[in-house]
Amino acid sequence: MNKPTNPTDWKGAAMQKRIAGRYAAERRFKFIGLGAVLLSGAFLAFLLFVMVGNGARGFTYTNVAVPIDFKAMPLTIEKARLSDADADQVIASAGLADIVDFAADEALGDGGSALISENAWKEVRSAIKDDPALLDGKTVFELPTASAVDMAAKDGAAGALGAQVDALEKDGKLSTGIHWPFFKSADATDPAVAGIWGALKGSLLTIFIAFLIAFPTGVLAALYLEEYAAKNRWTDLIEVSINNLAAVPSIIFGLLALAVFINWFGICQASPLVGGLTLALMTMPVIVIASRNAIKSVPPSIRDAALGVGASPVQVVFHHVLPLALPGILTGTIIGMARALGETAPLLLIGMRAFIGDVPSGICSPSTVLPMQIFLWSDEVDRGFVEKTSAAIIVLLVVLLSMNAFAIYLRNKFEQRW
Amino acid sequence: MTQDDLTIADPKMRAEGVNVFYGDKQAINDVSIDVGTDLVTAFIGPSGCGKSTFLRSLNRMNDTVASAKVTGRIELDGEDIYAPSMDVVQLRARVGMVFQKPNPFPKSIYDNVGYGPRIHGLAPSKADLDVIVERALVRAGLWDEVKDRLLESGTALSGGQQQRLCIARAIAVDPEVILMDEPCSALDPIATAKIEELIHELRGKFAIVIVTHNMQQAARVSQRTAFFHLGTLVEYGKTTDIFTNPKQERTKDYITGRYG
Amino acid sequence: MTFNAAALLLLIAGLALIGWIAGRQRSNLVAGRAGTKLHSRPQYHGWYVALWLFAPAALFLAVWSSVSPGLITNEVLANEAAQSLPSFGFERGAILSDARSVALGKQDAVRLPAAAPLVQPYADAAYKYAWIGIAAMLALALAGGLYAFTRIKPDFRARTRVERTVMAFLLLASLVAILTTFGIVLSLLFESIRFFQLVSPMELLFGTNWAPQSGAPVDDTFGGIPLFWGTVLIGAIIAMIVAIPIGMMTAVYLTQYAAPVVRRWVKPILEILAGVPTVVYGYFAALTVAPALREFAVMLGIPNASTESALAAGIVMGVMIIPFVSSMADDSINAVPQAMRDGSLALGATPNETIRQVLIPAALPGVMGGILLAVSRAIGETMIVVMAAGLSANLTANPFASVTTVTAQIVKLLTGDQEFDSAKTLAAFALGLVLFVVTLLLNIAALRIVKKYREAYE
Ligand SMILES: Nc1ncnc2c1ncn2[C@@H]1O[C@H](COP(=O)(O)OP(=O)(O)OP(=O)(O)O)[C@@H](O)[C@H]1O
Ligand SMILES: [Mg+2]
Repeated sequence: MNKPTNPTDWKGAAMQKRIAGRYAAERRFKFIGLGAVLLSGAFLAFLLFVMVGNGARGFTYTNVAVPIDFKAMPLTIEKARLSDADADQVIASAGLADIVDFAADEALGDGGSALISENAWKEVRSAIKDDPALLDGKTVFELPTASAVDMAAKDGAAGALGAQVDALEKDGKLSTGIHWPFFKSADATDPAVAGIWGALKGSLLTIFIAFLIAFPTGVLAALYLEEYAAKNRWTDLIEVSINNLAAVPSIIFGLLALAVFINWFGICQASPLVGGLTLALMTMPVIVIASRNAIKSVPPSIRDAALGVGASPVQVVFHHVLPLALPGILTGTIIGMARALGETAPLLLIGMRAFIGDVPSGICSPSTVLPMQIFLWSDEVDRGFVEKTSAAIIVLLVVLLSMNAFAIYLRNKFEQRW
Repeated sequence: MTQDDLTIADPKMRAEGVNVFYGDKQAINDVSIDVGTDLVTAFIGPSGCGKSTFLRSLNRMNDTVASAKVTGRIELDGEDIYAPSMDVVQLRARVGMVFQKPNPFPKSIYDNVGYGPRIHGLAPSKADLDVIVERALVRAGLWDEVKDRLLESGTALSGGQQQRLCIARAIAVDPEVILMDEPCSALDPIATAKIEELIHELRGKFAIVIVTHNMQQAARVSQRTAFFHLGTLVEYGKTTDIFTNPKQERTKDYITGRYG
Repeated sequence: MTFNAAALLLLIAGLALIGWIAGRQRSNLVAGRAGTKLHSRPQYHGWYVALWLFAPAALFLAVWSSVSPGLITNEVLANEAAQSLPSFGFERGAILSDARSVALGKQDAVRLPAAAPLVQPYADAAYKYAWIGIAAMLALALAGGLYAFTRIKPDFRARTRVERTVMAFLLLASLVAILTTFGIVLSLLFESIRFFQLVSPMELLFGTNWAPQSGAPVDDTFGGIPLFWGTVLIGAIIAMIVAIPIGMMTAVYLTQYAAPVVRRWVKPILEILAGVPTVVYGYFAALTVAPALREFAVMLGIPNASTESALAAGIVMGVMIIPFVSSMADDSINAVPQAMRDGSLALGATPNETIRQVLIPAALPGVMGGILLAVSRAIGETMIVVMAAGLSANLTANPFASVTTVTAQIVKLLTGDQEFDSAKTLAAFALGLVLFVVTLLLNIAALRIVKKYREAYE
């Protein structure tokens, strides 16, 4: 063992070469790391790019100008009835649809009625209801085109349809405008009149219910666990439950809701109420965990000070700890709510995937939610729905990102160091 | 400060006018010092005076602190270690370091010691590595205690054994200088005695620089002592002189325990 | 007259407010009369009265609104007009609910003629039970309020009582978590047992043919192996092959190399990636990734290439999991003491040698825990596989082929017909039970490992 050690020859060629190799490995490694980061960023960028690229067009729609002369083709109807509750039915049975089709054929040439949306006459109907005087004369209406025509106008198309659309375009009869029905109406089978408002309102109602239940329950549970709970087996059980619930797959909550809320309690199926209950159970653990962290970060000195001036333990918590922890609690809650807002799987199981053509009127009426609308539209064969799907995704992402941004803003604004 | 009686003919390391900054804050102010090849040099001084900072600039460990900046000149065998041509990986192999808290890797004892030689390619074969590991452990005085359990985790050893393992780890790459930053402060007196004994034995084979808060320890293990205060080198000399006949008032106050 | 729980809740809340004011007034009054100081401040007396007024009545309201529909139906069924109803099944339910809708004014006229004679009995019964409920509720509220009101004395410890009630509420809130867990376990178990009376558990766990059909004989059509394999292939293999290296390297780069500025920008980007709803990933997988992969497979001449492929679902799921893996790895690497890193660098190791040979081995338990959690997430993920992986139960290792997963089948089984007792619906719960047990075990194991690891470095 005592052989003399000749000092390492650091300057030797072999050693220099080896070192160069090690530095090359270092650069490679760092490069791979950077690559991984860039790759994640690129995924996000690509996803957003695809969605925005497809979806931006979904916010607009192609209309065609069709003059309708009600003097030549009178709609036999008493104007007084236009303000009645059943005006819609009255107008429909007076044959407005046929008049509009006829006008389209006349204005756009043979087969012109096929170029406008089958729901185009409803636009005329609401215009007439707004202004009965239209019935006395000739007006040019900007009517929504059929979905295929809209696609052809946006993408170009081959064949007869393409030629027809080109001709219309040359005549200046086509125009593109913001697709208002997209923001104002509920689902429909015709892309020309399908909208997200029904789903969006369903989402808002659902989230509202979920918040009403999950927020107080979660905060109170967190207060109990953090401030009062004795260290015993019950408390352990509660903690284990909460931690596991936070990691249970969301679809399991759907099964629970189906078995308990719908089949056992018989709460109205497919409604924001049952959806909100389901999402509340799912979100509550998240809120509890976030709230506990926020409560933990309130320094004990504040509790001691309050106890010192004679406050009872309950007063300490509700007057001193809770207000200080509130920003953190809210941040966690908003993030949890954003997650619930994007959730689809559990709601599939409680009937919210049905086609709902009306905007929901209350928390017990059948409804769908925005992510579900995206799912439903993604299955539609009609090509017009592709861009509607992406447009709905853009709306959903904007809502979610603003919620998250608000949460981050809250966190930064109220972040406090004691 | 007179240098005549302690001029070192052929210093292993030499620092000239070294300043170290953390951001805007200056932690070391114009320090010049020579480290002898066959000597143990002790750095003493009150907490926060910059001993660790200066020690870490001797093997460029300060490079790992983003805000740290070193100016002045530090030489190893006459070569500027902050020169672009100096390779930091080799520098650290030549100037080893032992930390305040034992920090064995969560690997086997064998792999802890073998880590350095492996990454530097010092052992062409397994047999060579066996030899290097054994020699390092022998030199660190740990061989007899661990020779039967080389494959156990290094973190399973006692604190004192862990620290000697870290010394063995540093020795295994055959460095020229070993820097020790309070190597005994986390150990009990018996383990401390063992390390001090070890330093005695290693003296002459390596240039050793040790930071310590323990005056007696500095007196026992070192031949040269440097006293730092508020980032400046107040006094540097033979250990016997510093402890028996300090030239500076501040040194005297410190070693007699009047502050610090 | 119907039983509107929300309005009634508002009514008793209003009563409680009156009780609060009255209790406060009275406590001041009795204190003034006795010339002593109150033990508790007046508002606590107010709260005491309000609680006694509100809590029993609200509790009754909750119980009543869940049992009264059943009572009403029973009453209607006892009526002569109900004797002609079909004895069982879907039609009977439809008639009853039709009659109910008309009786409660949700619908103008009956849609099923058979429901017509039931409308009046329904309305009568609903009316009767609504009044019984309201009367009982009001009686309870008043009794509670009066009881509390009479107890107000200067030395009455209202605050203690109120605070005890508050504590009870806190405890109740935290019990919701346990209740949910039990609810999940019981509902899954209950339906699964009914399923296992039809199909043996062995068949579900080890059978290799999955082809459930309504009304068909159940033999040999509920073999779960193809589903389990599909789940593992997508969630535990393909997704992890994507997520682990990218997530780990991202964490390594961010913790070891990136400047603080870069970290500040990249972390929110990863958070966005984690916040994108799964339905969006699913759509992305189905719309963009799957067709591209199919073309690629066809180019390579791979047989069975399908537009719904395990690979498309797995890759996109992997991307979804990246932020999760990277944040777990980030935490684990950060938990390794700085001294470990310094020790390695001081020996002359390069950063990448330090990372690969010291930091990652030291962080490995934490990273493993994180990966287990990630797997548990991936196998429970639903929308991506529903939209991109397909529904055909193939037992294949070809990643370009279509496979199906446990979650996708649960959705499929429960979104067809709504007959609740068929073997198909029950099978969904049995699959749910398997999924729940597996993810639970993964989570528990992961949390154990991570906790141990944290302790090791404390
Ligand atoms: N990473 C750093 N960033 C900023 N300032 C630092 C850093 N490390 C040390 N300092 C500062 O530099 C000065 C010297 O610190 P140093 O650790 O060198 O002192 P020391 O003499 O080793 O003290 P001790 O005896 O307590 O170990 C101190 O004021 C310290 O606060
Ligand atoms: Mg120090």
